[in-house]
Amino acid sequence: MTIRSTWNAARARRWLRACASVGEEPYLAGKPTIDSHGGQLRIGNRFRLVSRPVASHLVAGPGAVLHIGNDVSISYGAAVAALQHVHIGDGTRIGPFVIIMDTNFHGASGDQSIQHDCRPIAIGDGCRIGSRVTIARGVTIGDGAEILAGSVVSSAIPPGVCAAGGRARIIGRAGDLRSRWDGAAAILPDILMASLGLNSPPDLDSSPIPTHLWTEARMKCVLGAIEDRLRVMLDPAAAREIETFADLAATLQDALWECQRHALGPPTASTRPI
Amino acid sequence: MTLKEDVSRWWARLKAGPVWITSSLRAWIWLRACDEVGVNTRTFWRPNIENRGRIVLGSRVRLNSHWAPIELVSGPLGVIEIGDGVYINYGSMISAHLLVRIGSDVMIGNYCIVADTEIPGIGEPHGGPSIEPRPVDIGDGVWLAARVTVLPGARIGAGAVIAAGSVVAGDIPPGKVAGGIPARILRAI
Repeated sequence: MTIRSTWNAARARRWLRACASVGEEPYLAGKPTIDSHGGQLRIGNRFRLVSRPVASHLVAGPGAVLHIGNDVSISYGAAVAALQHVHIGDGTRIGPFVIIMDTNFHGASGDQSIQHDCRPIAIGDGCRIGSRVTIARGVTIGDGAEILAGSVVSSAIPPGVCAAGGRARIIGRAGDLRSRWDGAAAILPDILMASLGLNSPPDLDSSPIPTHLWTEARMKCVLGAIEDRLRVMLDPAAAREIETFADLAATLQDALWECQRHALGPPTASTRPI
Repeated sequence: MTLKEDVSRWWARLKAGPVWITSSLRAWIWLRACDEVGVNTRTFWRPNIENRGRIVLGSRVRLNSHWAPIELVSGPLGVIEIGDGVYINYGSMISAHLLVRIGSDVMIGNYCIVADTEIPGIGEPHGGPSIEPRPVDIGDGVWLAARVTVLPGARIGAGAVIAAGSVVAGDIPPGKVAGGIPARILRAI
């Protein structure tokens, strides 16, 4: 129990005092606006809310429920308003300046009287929501979906997909577009070290692969390990042409791109409107 | 408006406390850079106002700058005219080097940008080529949802609704819902 953790706990207790329930170890940076006007804010364990440099706000209307699961983190400038029901699942991460509101607050054609025609929002577990995403009322986002930055989500997003656009459409599977090559590049030296029997992980530069190691059997072993660890299959004929470690990395990168292009599917794939 | 609605509205305002009660007084202080301010205009938290031309606010205008400040900027020849009963949400920017006219009962969502030059605000490099402004006209009762960008020369007809995240260029006819980049008519209201 350090001074810092005590201070953080006290700050969280103060700023989250409007919540109906708060889990363990919440962490708040900056000063958010958190109001429950007769509604319920239920917050899970290890909640993380950033309000620097722009304050975030979580607001529940009368009789509304704003449910935030475990391990949720929300970045700065976020606006979450529930006048009926907003559910944010476990492990979801939300970027800066995101707007999640289950109501429009008013009518059209200059009708500024407050209207509570709400439709609940449900965001699944393990979603990643990029910066400046706007989530309209009545939207359901499936588990593990990924919404890219700047999108406006106005229709349901199925689980495990990656969606983007001014009216968010499915553009691939979640995790394809981000850091798949980075992840591969990080573990490729280890794969090569294990399957080629090297003493240290090789650099992925233009140094040649020793010819006595690049035999048919070893090659098969390397391709098998890559398929096993990275879920991508390299062409054995192309692998025979490889002379340097950099060639191998480039071939792998091409294969990952090909894989991704295949996953994107035809450009007409769109989400199902509610 | 029924008596019940009236009572509940005033009760909500009382509960909102000092922010609502002092908002007229704060408007008097914070909007002192504007040329004309109508009666019963209120500000919630402090907007950024840079007035080198002319800024006219109607009556019953409400400016909410709670989480991010509203910016009203007029250049040396710029005129911003805002009608009666306009509501502007936080983080929006309105910039005029020629003319930005906003009708009455317009609702502007958060983080909107309404500007009559391609680069809003003041801050052109000295001696650089000037940016040609084209006037922006927003009709009565228009609703701009969150993060709408209104480009120079845009005209939005009365009662139109612009969907969130859109970029408006050119004319939008009255009474239509428009959205997308650039904004196209989606349907009638």
